[in-house]
Amino acid sequence: MGPMSTPPSRTIYATFGAEAHSGAGPETGHQSGTEFRPDLAVGQASPDSLKRLKDVLNQAYVGVRLVIAGPSADILAARAAAAECGMVEEEMTLLHRVDGHRRVFCAHCRATTSMPEASAHEIGCSGCATVLSVSEHFSRRLAAHLGYAAHAEEAA
Amino acid sequence: MTATALLAGGLKLQVAEVTAQTPSITSITFTDPAGGPLPAYVPGSHLLVQCGDGVNAYSLTGSGRSPSDYSVSVLRVASGAGGSAAMHRLRAGDRVLVSRPRSAFTPMATARHHLLIAGGIGVTPMLSHARAAAEWGMAATMIYMYRPAEGAHVPELRELLDTRLVECTDRGSFRQALAEKLSSQRLGTHLYVCGPAAFMESVLASARELGWPETRLHSEPFGTPELDAGQPFRAKLTRSGIQVEIPAGVSLLEALEGADVGVPNMCRKGVCGECSVAVLRGTPQHRDLYLSEDQKASGRTMMCCVSRSLDQELELDL
Amino acid sequence: MSTNLIDHAIPQEAATILPERITRFPFPFSADSYRYSTNIEPALKPVSTEAGGWGTRLLDIDEHYLQELGERAAVLQRDPSRLQVLPHMRPAVWDAITTLLPIMADEHPETMSFERKGDSCRWQNRLHNLDLEFTAGVDASLPAEPLLFLGSQIQDDIALLDQRENALWLDAGLVTFAADWSLGFDVGMKFLEVHGPVPRVHDEQIITRAQQFLMNLQPGEKYRRTNWTMTVGRRLDTSTETYPEWAQDRSAVVTDPALPDRLHLRVEVQHLIRLPHSGAILFLVRTHLLSLADIARVPAWRERLGRVLAELPPDMAGYKGISRYREAASAWLLAG
Repeated sequence: MGPMSTPPSRTIYATFGAEAHSGAGPETGHQSGTEFRPDLAVGQASPDSLKRLKDVLNQAYVGVRLVIAGPSADILAARAAAAECGMVEEEMTLLHRVDGHRRVFCAHCRATTSMPEASAHEIGCSGCATVLSVSEHFSRRLAAHLGYAAHAEEAA
Repeated sequence: MTATALLAGGLKLQVAEVTAQTPSITSITFTDPAGGPLPAYVPGSHLLVQCGDGVNAYSLTGSGRSPSDYSVSVLRVASGAGGSAAMHRLRAGDRVLVSRPRSAFTPMATARHHLLIAGGIGVTPMLSHARAAAEWGMAATMIYMYRPAEGAHVPELRELLDTRLVECTDRGSFRQALAEKLSSQRLGTHLYVCGPAAFMESVLASARELGWPETRLHSEPFGTPELDAGQPFRAKLTRSGIQVEIPAGVSLLEALEGADVGVPNMCRKGVCGECSVAVLRGTPQHRDLYLSEDQKASGRTMMCCVSRSLDQELELDL
Repeated sequence: MSTNLIDHAIPQEAATILPERITRFPFPFSADSYRYSTNIEPALKPVSTEAGGWGTRLLDIDEHYLQELGERAAVLQRDPSRLQVLPHMRPAVWDAITTLLPIMADEHPETMSFERKGDSCRWQNRLHNLDLEFTAGVDASLPAEPLLFLGSQIQDDIALLDQRENALWLDAGLVTFAADWSLGFDVGMKFLEVHGPVPRVHDEQIITRAQQFLMNLQPGEKYRRTNWTMTVGRRLDTSTETYPEWAQDRSAVVTDPALPDRLHLRVEVQHLIRLPHSGAILFLVRTHLLSLADIARVPAWRERLGRVLAELPPDMAGYKGISRYREAASAWLLAG
């Protein structure tokens, strides 16, 4: 490409949950001496932590890659945030730790409830207290499974 | 490509204006002789134009939103089949048959920014994209490489893009501009390139080298998705005891209907599976999306709306 | 019972005395059993049925026009999440408006007209006493958010699909009459993800083929398919959002003597259109409801629906939400 100096393709690392234990330090740069340090290391995918991820991505240039590691529920939320910044699937690598946690979206009141056990098929909605039946239907945008009123068809 | 089938349902238009862009590029504007509006089109679309002995595809240069005319710009190719020379002989008032606009180079709706790379006459679909972006308030940047004195549409592009147009007339400055733009685009940018094949290849290779994923790269693919007209063949119908000739450009289903042999059908596009016919002898040329690979390999069934024959004759259970 | 009056009538005679809601009903079954298929055909192809026919119009307006649009407005008032437009879909929404209004005017010249010069448009709809001048592409020139406006003019639910990354994405819609799904949840999904819960179709590659077909559509091409389920009452809003309100009807209707009047065959006539300027796919869903009592007035329909319901495999019946009452419905229909 001639004499132009071109920046190397950069990879941004974001880690969630226990993977983020080393993340108490600064959030820039990912290699410090021999110690791996992610660009972003947070306990869980919250509005605040996702905003920090978006701030990093909004400063990035095409050519960048994103690696997200952590519990599935968190990294799927991070994937949705990255997609909002214009990232495409090809640019993201998701490293799942399957721990059974799920986010459940209530079709009736639109609240999202954290569900600790994937083995359970029902959960009380944190918004409207309806007992929700948790389906396999999953929204990448909401990063949540669909929940709808359980037992609603049974006679009162 | 035999384009008879594509021109069926096309439009009979009149040449309204012929303008020389450069010594070798001429713009031709077509309108409806009755003065009516023309069908809208997706930015980056092309028209098939029947002119002289052949049919050629040309990119439309407008935005495609509510057009009152269709404009194309044609480079005279000395070594070509003669289509471009015939186009250059068109004069205001001449009538031509054109297809409806066909879309194969669509701007991405989700793009935050369009990076348009044009080489020579490849500027035509890029101009269409730049116009549509301006109309919808989308940001676009263009690098336009052309030979000195051979830049078509330069004044319009300067007005549309202002400082976001980078003009290059030599290879060195183009490479430099390209490297600079490729490494400074915010996430959400998509790249579109049109020009000579080697030009497109080198632009795409540079982008890949700098980490651009395929999803963000778009290049003009003339003449790909259409099914071609195919070779003529004969169908021998064992139960009806007749033979049907299927010319190029006519589907087996159409030929059967023409011979009053009804076959249940729905989509006529090779997806619904309704028009399946049993093949008793001969090898079908499968062009449908319905049959599995195994079913296709067995050769015992075919979708007569799109599929044809690899042999000169097929025997069908009809 | 009134159905006895025409039990032995031959179809041609029946057609002369049956009301339009029956003669124009898009009865979807062509055999005594039903399975999913990629049942796509060109739009506007006339279909004749045992009671009459349908299919010659893209935008069907019937006796329920004002009432259904009133119901849509009320649903949106209660739950604005039935309207979803991801920001990049604005041009597609305008493309849908400037494509559908002229078609509607052509199909209903006695009540509607559309004129356009450049971007200046004039839309008249006498059913609404509406005479509107607006500028194509300028949201503020319409009396409402653009997709909301379009949904106030046509009875169909509207979905818009963007094509990218070799897939279709459900990125905008106005859906108030959903058959047990939620646009608010599904918006932003890929076409294949939207259909994730449908049984069988994935093994059979039906959705993959449908997507491939849609991705190959050229601008201006228009296709059509039907889909069906059943609904208790003339309830158009059977969305997942309101499921707690109507779920109990599914069990209550089984033993209700009024089952033939309460239980409706719900048929969706879906149109699939590649929009000319944005290149988006427009998906229109027009819902028709006809009670079993009305179905039974056409003897061929009564018998066919009875057999289809009896034969339908349990997983398909479960997905359609008709497991609780389909036997009762089938028994009533086949008992004549």
